[in-house]
Amino acid sequence: MYRNDTVVPYFALVFSAALFLTAYLNDRFRVVHEAGAVPHLTVGNIGLMAFALVLFVYGFIGLLSNWLEGSELRPGRHEPEPSSLPMVAGVVLSLLLVMLSGFFVRTLIFANNPEIGYYNATTLQAGVFGAMMFILALLIAIYKKFFIEEEVLAEDEKGDFPW
Amino acid sequence: MYRWLDDRLSIGKLYAKAFRKAFPVHHSFFLGEITLFSFITLVLTGIFLTLNYEPSIRPVSGPLSGGQEVPAAYYSILYIDSLPFGAVIRSLHHWAAHIMIAAAFLHMLRIHLTGAYKNPRELNWIVGVFLLVLAILTAFTGYALPFDNYALTATKIGYEIGAAAPWVGKLLSDILFAGELSPTNTQTIPRLYSIHVLWLPLTLIALISLHLVIMIKQKHTQPRYAEKVAPGKIVGVPLFPQQAAMMGILFLVYIGATTFIAGAFLAHPVEAFGPPTANTPAVKPDWYFLWIYGILQIIPANWRFEFLGATFGPQFWGGILVPTLIILGALAIPFLDYSKEKQRYLELPSRHPFRTSFVIGVLMFYIMSTLAGYKVDLGLSNELLWVLVLVVPVVTGVVSYILIKAIYGKEWNQEVQVELRGKGPATD
Repeated sequence: MYRNDTVVPYFALVFSAALFLTAYLNDRFRVVHEAGAVPHLTVGNIGLMAFALVLFVYGFIGLLSNWLEGSELRPGRHEPEPSSLPMVAGVVLSLLLVMLSGFFVRTLIFANNPEIGYYNATTLQAGVFGAMMFILALLIAIYKKFFIEEEVLAEDEKGDFPW
Repeated sequence: MYRWLDDRLSIGKLYAKAFRKAFPVHHSFFLGEITLFSFITLVLTGIFLTLNYEPSIRPVSGPLSGGQEVPAAYYSILYIDSLPFGAVIRSLHHWAAHIMIAAAFLHMLRIHLTGAYKNPRELNWIVGVFLLVLAILTAFTGYALPFDNYALTATKIGYEIGAAAPWVGKLLSDILFAGELSPTNTQTIPRLYSIHVLWLPLTLIALISLHLVIMIKQKHTQPRYAEKVAPGKIVGVPLFPQQAAMMGILFLVYIGATTFIAGAFLAHPVEAFGPPTANTPAVKPDWYFLWIYGILQIIPANWRFEFLGATFGPQFWGGILVPTLIILGALAIPFLDYSKEKQRYLELPSRHPFRTSFVIGVLMFYIMSTLAGYKVDLGLSNELLWVLVLVVPVVTGVVSYILIKAIYGKEWNQEVQVELRGKGPATD
């Protein structure tokens, strides 16, 4: 808490994994797979996974923030250090994003087919869409880290914004 | 183009004022942003849902229900789920609601543990408490909308609590449910729909805006090291482009992770329980109501008396009185732990053992009350559950207090002192 450390985000990621595992391993919270029944989650399972998701996102962005912004800010301007590697990574990720976008559209066309009863392959659709979002996030992160000039301000406590 | 716009709107001034506002950097600030992004996701997915949902229980039939007559609201959910990506979007809406409540709760814990509610931020703490209550109420009003047997039964638990409010119970149920909640009341779904998609979201938008404006005016509480770097100043990155980039990354990571879970685990498939029938399935309320449900489970049925024509029964004690006392307690926190000095920096939880152990005790109370919600499933006795709900939180709080004091020794109850020149002292 003293600075933008990595201790709490790491702990959040571990705790998130533990909550996911609890949701999966505990019989009472397990996804219901009764014969003939539609699988669904119990309320306890949903609660555990909701907290696990928040902690995962929080832990992930916390570690990323430490990498991108550092643990302590120092006022002034800090020049980025662009190199070939981030450029190559950006191009590769962009190509991957284009490929996944095409594949995502393909899953939508597949789901819009009356011959298969408008079947939605939800895990596949969401997996591809989720991967696209992660790649976009990575692209912005790479751009921020290696191509944006960082500036740290020391603003007066009594600013006149918004009034 | 820029000059044309600048001539007419002075956007250069806007950039200098708004876009260069300094945002301090600390991982714990992202919890509030996750809450905000959940709300934005709810609005965006909610717009899609409103375009395809029919808020009515008139009987309809079609190929999606196999020719069987079902309520129109239920059928429209089957229709949404049949649209390409529709099931994922509906599930994402459902998951985003759970995540918003979980993130808001963790955000409040962070504010409490770091003392960020103190002078001058008391007002924003109060707005935050109302936001959490409103978010839960909004989620509750959306619960019955799929109009399947599960949703209707789970909503009934909340309905019965509201209807049990002394003197105003009937008025409350008339306002929220347009009368009695039953599979045949044709007015309930349109009423809940209107409250869920219009009135409560509008109120939430107003309160969120107020919360953000107050935060921007009062500035963040900063990590403690900032006092060493620039005393009396706000050390942070400008809103544009740096903070905006971080917010963009967070939003994309949030959407990516939540969408994946929403697709892999459809939160509320209506086919699992089917349309409402005379049979009531064994269901529990959502996890954020489970602690109240747990308290209701352990309060004896004979705790009941009449006063001025109103009945004060278990549903009043467990469903209304306890939550109201907790909300009032939360509202009072900034005034009970009042600070004359302006709170500028995050306090370390380890240096405030009473506050930290109190939070741990309250968390344990929620966990134990939630466990009481599984009384029948786990075969736990009432006596044991009373001990778990009342004694375990107190013991946990006391043990935490002793441990924190023992670990931090003389440093307890002293905020970290930073040296303004040279190296800073101990850290967490």
